[in-house]
Amino acid sequence: MKQQEIHQFLERFFSANDCEIVENKPGYLTVQLTIEMDKELMNRPFYWHYLEKTGGTPNPASLTLITNPKLVPDDIKGELIHFGSPRLHQLFASAKNLSKYIRLYENKTGQGQQQTSLKPWLALNVKISYQCDRKRDVFQSIGLQLINGQIATDFQAKIEKMNLSAKIPDYAFTLSPLIMPKSGITRIENMIKQSLLAEDHTWAEEAQERWKKDLELLEHFYEDMEDMEEEQETLETERLALQEQYEPKINISIINGGLFYLASEAVS
Amino acid sequence: MTLQINFDDSWNNQLLKRISDDGPWANWELYKLAVEVEQHNIIPDFEGLQAPKYLSDLSPLPHQLEVAKKVIEDMNGKAILADEVGLGKTIEAGLILKEYMIRGLVKKVLILVPASLVTQWAFELNSKFYIPAMVQRKSYVWEQCDIVVSSIDTAKRQPHRDIIYNLDYDLVIIDEAHKLKNNKTKNYEFVQNLKKKFCLLLTATPIQNRISEIFNLVSLLKPGHLGSESSFYEKYKKDARSIDDDENLKALVNKVMIRNRRHDTGIEWTKRIVESVPIQFTEEERALYEGLVNLKTENYLSNNTENNRSPFSMITLQREACSSREAVYYTLQNMMKKVENPTPQFQQRIQELVKKVEAVQQNSKANKALELIKKINDKVIIFTEYRATQLYLQWFLKQHGITSVPFRGGFKRGKKDWMRDLFQNHAQVLIATEAGGEGINLQFCHHIINFDLPWNPMRLEQRIGRIHRLGQKEDVKIYNFAIKDTVEDHILKLLYEKIHLFEKVIGELDDILTKLDFGNMDDYMIDIFSHSKSEGEMKIKMDNLTSMIEFAQNMKEGEAYEAAGNSSIS
Repeated sequence: MKQQEIHQFLERFFSANDCEIVENKPGYLTVQLTIEMDKELMNRPFYWHYLEKTGGTPNPASLTLITNPKLVPDDIKGELIHFGSPRLHQLFASAKNLSKYIRLYENKTGQGQQQTSLKPWLALNVKISYQCDRKRDVFQSIGLQLINGQIATDFQAKIEKMNLSAKIPDYAFTLSPLIMPKSGITRIENMIKQSLLAEDHTWAEEAQERWKKDLELLEHFYEDMEDMEEEQETLETERLALQEQYEPKINISIINGGLFYLASEAVS
Repeated sequence: MTLQINFDDSWNNQLLKRISDDGPWANWELYKLAVEVEQHNIIPDFEGLQAPKYLSDLSPLPHQLEVAKKVIEDMNGKAILADEVGLGKTIEAGLILKEYMIRGLVKKVLILVPASLVTQWAFELNSKFYIPAMVQRKSYVWEQCDIVVSSIDTAKRQPHRDIIYNLDYDLVIIDEAHKLKNNKTKNYEFVQNLKKKFCLLLTATPIQNRISEIFNLVSLLKPGHLGSESSFYEKYKKDARSIDDDENLKALVNKVMIRNRRHDTGIEWTKRIVESVPIQFTEEERALYEGLVNLKTENYLSNNTENNRSPFSMITLQREACSSREAVYYTLQNMMKKVENPTPQFQQRIQELVKKVEAVQQNSKANKALELIKKINDKVIIFTEYRATQLYLQWFLKQHGITSVPFRGGFKRGKKDWMRDLFQNHAQVLIATEAGGEGINLQFCHHIINFDLPWNPMRLEQRIGRIHRLGQKEDVKIYNFAIKDTVEDHILKLLYEKIHLFEKVIGELDDILTKLDFGNMDDYMIDIFSHSKSEGEMKIKMDNLTSMIEFAQNMKEGEAYEAAGNSSIS
């Protein structure tokens, strides 16, 4: 992420969380946190606990975040934000944490007063991690139409082009799902698993090779000590450690997701 | 092949609950933001390093990046990092740790380092790598904090030991790992029993004397890599000195060990500029010194106890006389105290010496040091071997309006850090009695005065190594004080100047001295100075010593770059 992108991220993050951006200049911005965001970010539970007990006036903090120190006047003090800074990663985590579940309706303009039916979609944005002693990730966004079971890949990119709102638009009504969300999730899970199994897994075979090799060395090392109890315990510990280290597996984690009621058919 | 696939099923319950509760639902902008962040942070390849992107303030050197990559990609996260001193093993370890953390492969980490380095490790990981490492001070820290720095001596003691044994570590890092060369020690056993997925052992001297040391070290990291104990020793002699002789063994070791040498890295080192400063005794100082020299031939001091006649104290007294009268006085006092029922003769002898001490009014070296410090007009470190001299110098400099702070190896770690800060921010001079071992880094200073010279060149090397290391931007100036026509003068001329010791780069000496097997250098010198019957004999013995060192030096140059475990071979 370039510093400019980070600056934009900060603007969007705080606006989305209803925090007033008091100052927004090239190189830095100052935000007034809301009470909720202060609790979320500033890590001072005792202060808030104290306030609630005593009934004092809450005074949420304001933050000055610097994205380019060269452009900042000397009298401005703040936190330097760069891609590795803990604060930025805290904001990343917070964005994720606050947006796990969503429900939106498509607001198709130009339909006039005509009645529009909205079909339910279940959306999942997932991270697929291929892990052995190394790791790589793949992002997938999948949508499942809950009436006819149609699957859409790159779902997120497609819906981002639509006009969506949190409230159901006037003259629109939702169709009831035939597939329940819970079994929808299972369908998506199975679909991902199926496609994963069809992939080339040389990486996993190689990891198992490495595992096997180290295991053989390990067992050879303890060969002479078969009747020593303590050594056998150490051997077992080492065996488990090798499994931890090399065993190939794929973890699918859900970043976020939810229900989208869409009028458009063109999702495919 | 069966492949384990885990699907995160913690998410769906909340979804169903929110559907039935009609919310709360996330804001669309934030939802999009989270997806964008996640897409951006995804790591699409098994290979390559992500860490540098996250570390804007750190510019790792090319060899450090290469080490990190190699450890993760070719060594599967188990390696001995054995770069020569000063090439930044800490940075390499930090990069590897950071990379694993970014990729989510490592969460729980145990870092075991010498007690004197605990704070520094934690500080560097936090400040340079944004890794929230905690110093272990309370026993709950082991379980509650993910990344803990501690000394091995603390960790192996109860109740810590049991707590640690119950934890599964993703990565264990051990600094100064050559201390684990003996597999019969408690420390070795402790490390062996840790549950560790990945492991880094850091050492500058992976093999000092015996091939068994490398076997033990490798077996800690990767048991069986060099075979079982019996099969290994069947193949290689236990006390063999070098692993170079066996290509096969060398190749095996290189699979788990990376050793960069200074000349491989292409880093430009600042120069060492050495100046010997000959100093003339005042008459009174000379009288004291001669008085002590005469003791060697006379036997007045004998009080029929072993102690006070030992050549050790005689030579020590002479060396102390070259440092300060305070140092001599302190030792004389101690000698008096140690002896029960001193003979009148003994007492009288001591009294005479004390009188000579009292007669000394000026310290020639201190005067010279003052002159130099004023001329340098910048931060200076003064090293002395003696506490008494240290105290005296502090007082002396204060009399002349120069601020100084003391430093001793025995300081607790907090005090060391504090003294370092005082020196950096408030004082001109640091007066140290010991190099502080593996203690502190003082790169912000580039002047050293060796007020007196240690007899073991390694000690001197450590002194200089405190400031002449990676990060030193200036040439380092070293002033060696030696009083003319004394034992000190001999040391300087015969030993140090002849082998060009001071011009050596860090680490080289290390290699040279380990090639020689004459045990304790100090004992050797004492032997030369106390048992030589004439100047001539002493000179010959010193010449022998220096030619041995020269020989080892040539040997090292001869074998060029292919010493044990050089990574360029593999």
